[in-house]
Amino acid sequence: MKNSFNHITKAFTALSVVLILILVVSACKKDFLEVPANGSLTEEVLSSKKGLDGLLVGCYSILTGRAASFYTGMGNWVHGSILGGEANKGTNAGDQTVVNPVERYETLPNNGLVGDKWRITYEGVARCNTLLRLVGSTTDGTVTAEDKVRLIAEARFLRGLYYFELKRLWNNVPYVDETMTAEEAVKVSNNVDVYPKIEADLQHAFDNLPETQSALGRANKWAAGALLAKVYLYEKKFAEAKTLFTDVINNGKTSSGEKYDLMARYADNFNAEFDNNKESVFAAQAAVNTGDIGNSNNENVLNFPYNTGSDGPAGCCGFFQPSFDLVNSFRTDANGLPLLDGSYNNPANAVKSDQGLLSSDPFTADAGNLDPRLDHSVGRRSIPYLDWIDHPGNNWIRDQAYAGPYSPKKFVYYKATSSTLTDGSSWTRGYTAQNQPIIRFADVLLMAAEAEIEAGSLEKAREYVNRVRARAADPGTWVKKGGSNAANYVIGMYNSPWTDQGVARTAVRLERKLELSGEGQRFFDLVRWGVAADVLNAYLQHDGTLLPTQLGGATFTAGKNEYYPIPQSQIDLQGPGVLKQNPGY
Amino acid sequence: MNQTFYLRPKFGVVWLLLFFLSAFSLSAQDRRVTGTITSADNSALAGATLLVKGTTTGTVSDGDGNFAINVNGNNAILVVSATGFSTQEIPVGEQATVNVQMQDSESALSEVVVTGYTTETRRQTTSAVATVRTKDLAVVPTGNVEQQLQGRVSGLTVITNGQPGTASLVRIRGFGSFGGNQPLFVVDGVPTQNINFLSPDDIENTTVMKDASSASIYGARAASGVIVITTKRGPKTPQKLKVSYDALFGWTDPGQGQEILSPQETADWTWTAIRNTAAANGVPVVYKNDQYGTGNTPVLPDFINVGGQGGLSASQVNLAEESRKYNVNPDNGPVYQVVRANKEGTDWYGAITRTAPVMRHNLGFSGATESARYYLGLSLQDQAGILLYNDFRRHTFRANTEFDLGKRVRFGENLQFTYRQVLGQGGGNDGAGVPSDENSILGAFRMNPIIPVYDEYGGYAGTAAKGFNNSRNPVAERDGLKDNKGYGVSGFGNVYVEVDLLQDLTFKTSLGGNYGNFTGRNYNRRSYENSENNGAFGYGEFSGNSFSWVVTNTLQYKKKFGIHGLELLLGQEALKDGGFRSINASGLDPFSQDPNYITLSNVSSRVVTSFNQTPWTYSSYFGRAHYSLLDKYYITGLIRRDGSSRFGPDTRYGVFPGISAAWRVSGESFMDGVSWIEDLKLRAGWGQMGNDQVSPTNQFSAFASSLGSAAYAINGSNSGVSEGFYQGQVGNPNAQWEVSTTSNVGLEFLLLNGKFDFVIDLWKKETDKLLFAVPLAQVLGGFAQAPAQNVASMLNQGIDLQIINKGRLGGNSRYEATLTGSWLHNEITKVADNIPYFDAAGGGRLAGNLVRNQVGQSISSFFGYQVLGYFKDAAEVASAPEQEGAGPGRFRFADLNSLDDDGNLTGKPDGVIDAADRTFIGSPVPKFTGGLNLKVVMGMFDVETYLYTSVGNKIFNMSKWYTDFYPSFTGAAIGARVKDSWTPDNLDAETPIFETASNFSTNTQPNSWYVEDGSFLRMQNINIGYNLVNILPGRVKVSRARVYVGANNIFTITKYKGLDPAVGGAADTNFGIDVGNYPVTRSVIVGLGLTF
Repeated sequence: MKNSFNHITKAFTALSVVLILILVVSACKKDFLEVPANGSLTEEVLSSKKGLDGLLVGCYSILTGRAASFYTGMGNWVHGSILGGEANKGTNAGDQTVVNPVERYETLPNNGLVGDKWRITYEGVARCNTLLRLVGSTTDGTVTAEDKVRLIAEARFLRGLYYFELKRLWNNVPYVDETMTAEEAVKVSNNVDVYPKIEADLQHAFDNLPETQSALGRANKWAAGALLAKVYLYEKKFAEAKTLFTDVINNGKTSSGEKYDLMARYADNFNAEFDNNKESVFAAQAAVNTGDIGNSNNENVLNFPYNTGSDGPAGCCGFFQPSFDLVNSFRTDANGLPLLDGSYNNPANAVKSDQGLLSSDPFTADAGNLDPRLDHSVGRRSIPYLDWIDHPGNNWIRDQAYAGPYSPKKFVYYKATSSTLTDGSSWTRGYTAQNQPIIRFADVLLMAAEAEIEAGSLEKAREYVNRVRARAADPGTWVKKGGSNAANYVIGMYNSPWTDQGVARTAVRLERKLELSGEGQRFFDLVRWGVAADVLNAYLQHDGTLLPTQLGGATFTAGKNEYYPIPQSQIDLQGPGVLKQNPGY
Repeated sequence: MNQTFYLRPKFGVVWLLLFFLSAFSLSAQDRRVTGTITSADNSALAGATLLVKGTTTGTVSDGDGNFAINVNGNNAILVVSATGFSTQEIPVGEQATVNVQMQDSESALSEVVVTGYTTETRRQTTSAVATVRTKDLAVVPTGNVEQQLQGRVSGLTVITNGQPGTASLVRIRGFGSFGGNQPLFVVDGVPTQNINFLSPDDIENTTVMKDASSASIYGARAASGVIVITTKRGPKTPQKLKVSYDALFGWTDPGQGQEILSPQETADWTWTAIRNTAAANGVPVVYKNDQYGTGNTPVLPDFINVGGQGGLSASQVNLAEESRKYNVNPDNGPVYQVVRANKEGTDWYGAITRTAPVMRHNLGFSGATESARYYLGLSLQDQAGILLYNDFRRHTFRANTEFDLGKRVRFGENLQFTYRQVLGQGGGNDGAGVPSDENSILGAFRMNPIIPVYDEYGGYAGTAAKGFNNSRNPVAERDGLKDNKGYGVSGFGNVYVEVDLLQDLTFKTSLGGNYGNFTGRNYNRRSYENSENNGAFGYGEFSGNSFSWVVTNTLQYKKKFGIHGLELLLGQEALKDGGFRSINASGLDPFSQDPNYITLSNVSSRVVTSFNQTPWTYSSYFGRAHYSLLDKYYITGLIRRDGSSRFGPDTRYGVFPGISAAWRVSGESFMDGVSWIEDLKLRAGWGQMGNDQVSPTNQFSAFASSLGSAAYAINGSNSGVSEGFYQGQVGNPNAQWEVSTTSNVGLEFLLLNGKFDFVIDLWKKETDKLLFAVPLAQVLGGFAQAPAQNVASMLNQGIDLQIINKGRLGGNSRYEATLTGSWLHNEITKVADNIPYFDAAGGGRLAGNLVRNQVGQSISSFFGYQVLGYFKDAAEVASAPEQEGAGPGRFRFADLNSLDDDGNLTGKPDGVIDAADRTFIGSPVPKFTGGLNLKVVMGMFDVETYLYTSVGNKIFNMSKWYTDFYPSFTGAAIGARVKDSWTPDNLDAETPIFETASNFSTNTQPNSWYVEDGSFLRMQNINIGYNLVNILPGRVKVSRARVYVGANNIFTITKYKGLDPAVGGAADTNFGIDVGNYPVTRSVIVGLGLTF
């Protein structure tokens, strides 16, 4: 026994002495303390063609908001639609309370959702800047001059888009580009208008992007043109806008080469099966079951009816409930035209709802004239909810007394697509493959109409508006229930020539509200039209009476609430001398 | 046998055990010796242990001090020991009767202090170190050694929770840094971040090095203190095999949950909320609820969910018909449930908890021959948590051996193999983060009690019933974990060679390492019973491994030259750690949900990820010199130079010195007359230690590919994405160590023959060049991880106190009381240039952050509005500063501050309550922690109790948000506190007005109303033991036999209203937030200890 111990221990000793010597020797080597980072890439590696292409994908990827929060995508359901009075937060008082002060225009500079949007949008800017810097400095021979032109044009398109987003939301934003060092960038003040820079980026993109792209998600020349024209419109450069919109309408085509046109069916714009159709000028691409829900349409994940069980989609979380004001504005007169005098909220015209009723209480839906787009845009009691069941009212509403009777509809998936175009890997099926439109052709037509009106060509404007209305007026595309129309849809064209610029403006603006509801446009429209305080205070008065807990007593302050506060954390970080807070905060 | 052993080494352990077990049945001719043990005052001493030296024969004196023992031959030596007395060795010779008078011990001074690379006695020590006698701690049923240290060592703070196997917040002398304040553990010379593998019964000695003058020897990783653990080993002198067996059985009671309103009360209070809201809005009251109807009084329904309809009376439901429609399998068509109301109320806390058993067994074998010493330990800990499917299990095998190879060379190894399994644990950072999780415990307080656990036909019931909001059935949630499995297997330890080059010069080389491997699988059930359901059945598998090694060479010289004593230590160390790879895969919806069927091969939508952590390396040299003069004056100096791969080439080397001195005043001649002072020592020390807790890639700017952060469907596909890149990290090649400079002054008294032992230390620790990831301005991008920079600083200072008093209570009774106390002041002194603060915790359900780390405040301070009270009436609202949503019964916030035109804080009120008015509303850092251990020995009985207290810490009781406000998930459970909610007649209420509004003045903002005093005093343990050696049959050679019963967490005195005041967290910059803390609850234990 003892012998064997000695054998073993001697063997062990010899072995360990050898091991220790090896380790000591290796530890004494000079590079022992040089340990490279695992799983990461350097700028040099990414300066190749494939690397730069991947960096550009990273620039695009910010369009989905990356699920950083529910408020970071390009759909702007809070920043554009809820702030525009098209919808309220919905759900109940206690869920996502971060939205509560925002929709009441009581946003404080430390509000989290404001900070989220700032952070992600500037991440988009930063990625574009990195790509532009590396394209400029690459020495990799595989990157051809042609590659550089394309990479730069796409990156500048995206940077222009991100800055446009920042400009619309905060107005006073610092402009950082690829030529600055980090030390310089953090000292850039927000006291210079960034529109000229946005124009320059988009003009460059318009001049250099190809008309078609092999990858459908990429921006092409016409997307850049449409966006630049939109920027002109925001700047009230109506002549430039008109010229460019006309070019886009006449000559524009999608990245796949299809000429821009309206889809025959309005609803097909809101169905993932028809993503990247001829009406899609530019959109955030969504994909599901990719391994991460950040690639899906994640910003709308809360925006489904509540607690539907297996009768309805997702089941969560009851957010983004259309407003009474929005629903009422779909009221049409005997000619099928909207009530341009704004009388749609009068009790005589207001759309009958099931507010205050349980699902077990009897209810007969409104029998008056309605624009058929209402039931493609809003879920309401007794009307078929896509290809799910008829909307049962209160049973699908989380807290009706708090948030009203309506459900969102445009970014809800169809039952037929529920296993293919939704993501099953997470806590809800509400992560969908539906693209988020950023500009669609109907939007272009209506913006063009605005430009025409300001240029004095009212009849051209009427032609554009009627083109949009005509598509909606095809009875074959209306929501059907039991074989017949689900409601009394009456929609007509503006048949009389437009002679009054003011009336024409009112018509176009209301048409935008009806056509683009829920698509994150309304608030920005109201602000650029200079009517936000009037329109929104009227909305708060109307809907606030019906939903006192959520909206009662809220007011929009002119001169302040047109823009978000600059995030306080960033002012604290960069210094109040660099970032100046917006007026009123 | 030799052959077998030699040729089949993998069975060696078994053979070895058999060999040793057979050894102790051999015994020669015995004869009987009797006698009496007395103490210094001639009273009988019961319970003294007698052992025949070199054998396993032993006994214990009885109640009259009498004993009888068998000895062999005339050369036997009796070793007599008893708590509080010096151990004596008595040669028996030819005597048949041996009487022994014991002398009071002065062992406190000869206590061995293990300081990692060397050892010394307490007499010599010049710095602040504390030793812990591990056997005092073994009665604590937890398997975690770090939890057992709670309150035992002054200067050591342990904040933990009730989950078995959880990690804890363990901090020595405060929080020196914003991260990585976990002390360095050194187990048998091998450094490690984690000691969760250790079995408490295997530990011989634990030394806590609190101050730089000792810990600087560990240089760059010592700033948070060092805990040196030495495991048991064989005796130094030859001794036959001694076998010890220790067992513990216990049961933990989950106790009561938070008080929740009954179903009828819940309905009544729902009506109150509607009434209050209508009044506040000035509109008529309209009662309407999906379940309670529309009448002036709410009516509890008989059925809450029949095919999606709620609020039904029994007469509206035809059960026979409904049973045919019933379906809870979404694959078979639409879910159709039939759920009866539980009008009695469901005790959800009771439904997810259980009386949880714990057991621990430890078998130890130790012995020595002339040339070899060994200790083998086998242990098992099996502990259930009070939550369903929350279990902890650990098996260990330890082998510590040492062999003499000739007279000058010793070869040894300390090795442990561990199997460890933790199931159903919640909370980040290995469970430490559980308090801030929305877990099943919180779920139990969110589920409306009218919902039963199960529906009419056996499916789960839940919030699919309309109107109860979105909590998930926590029983279903726990049941969903039942097939989850996972475990880790690891090997830890070292082998070493010691060579006595000269008589006083020893060279030691040691190779240590740690290999860990883990694997597991989990299932995610597809739910149907909730309002928000999981859309698919999920399955995942994971596995990974880590490996680290360390090699240490030391040269040690110890010599006395007359009145001079000299000890020198030189050393070199190199290590590589942190390398870690794992693979993780998951998929959805297998054909069958049978766990035996499911593999990754038969699920769809597979996602595979893997992780490859960058390791780090160190290369170090160190030295230590200790000089003593006349055994009265001592001085110690030490220094270490570390190089680390975590830092860039120009900054990676650091030098950490420490110096300390002590003066034994009692050794001076002028103290000769003062006989009541046995020992009086004054000591002082200064030193610098480092902290290196940055990412091993901190120096590199790096881009990453990420599905979540940068992929995109660039081709327009609905299901495929292209890989994208983004900057994941900005590097800082200039980062270097944080440096903590510690000064310490200590005084040690030993009075009245050791009756009083008193140690006090005043200390101050200033951390400079503190590593802080200065946030990047978001105009540079919002994704890249900011690099740590050496910009911040922190101050910790405090007093550590330990008093031991022992003595006799009369004849054969003795007592020993140990009091420890630690006062701590923690303050951030700098964050970064021009950056006064950083926010840490997301509010989750509240707006903004709850926690701000700011200069002048402690780490992790709570931040929000100061509540002055509730608005009394409309007149007060009108006269108060402007505040959004203000109204009678709602929070009134203090107007404390404002911004000037340049955006700077003015410190002046401005008549408007806005974000500038937020202020510091409490700190979770305890100002004082302490413990009192009392032990009384009466004859064969001993009683021991232990109390722990934490004073001055605040808790952010976030759980009140869920239970005390109606609109925080309308329809969920309502806490009983709302019975004392504000009304015009109850102005001084506990909770605000009960209403549906959710705004700035109600439930959306972090404010001081949530912050509660977290001080508590807990009687953590009481044990009553009995030594039964003498009543065992005489033939059984048992030297120790003790049985005990005990209880833990007997009572807690606190004002805190949450479940439990022990609220830690996953990070130092963000703790003390109680969302759903896992409580530490009462348990009873019985135990047994045997040595033979």
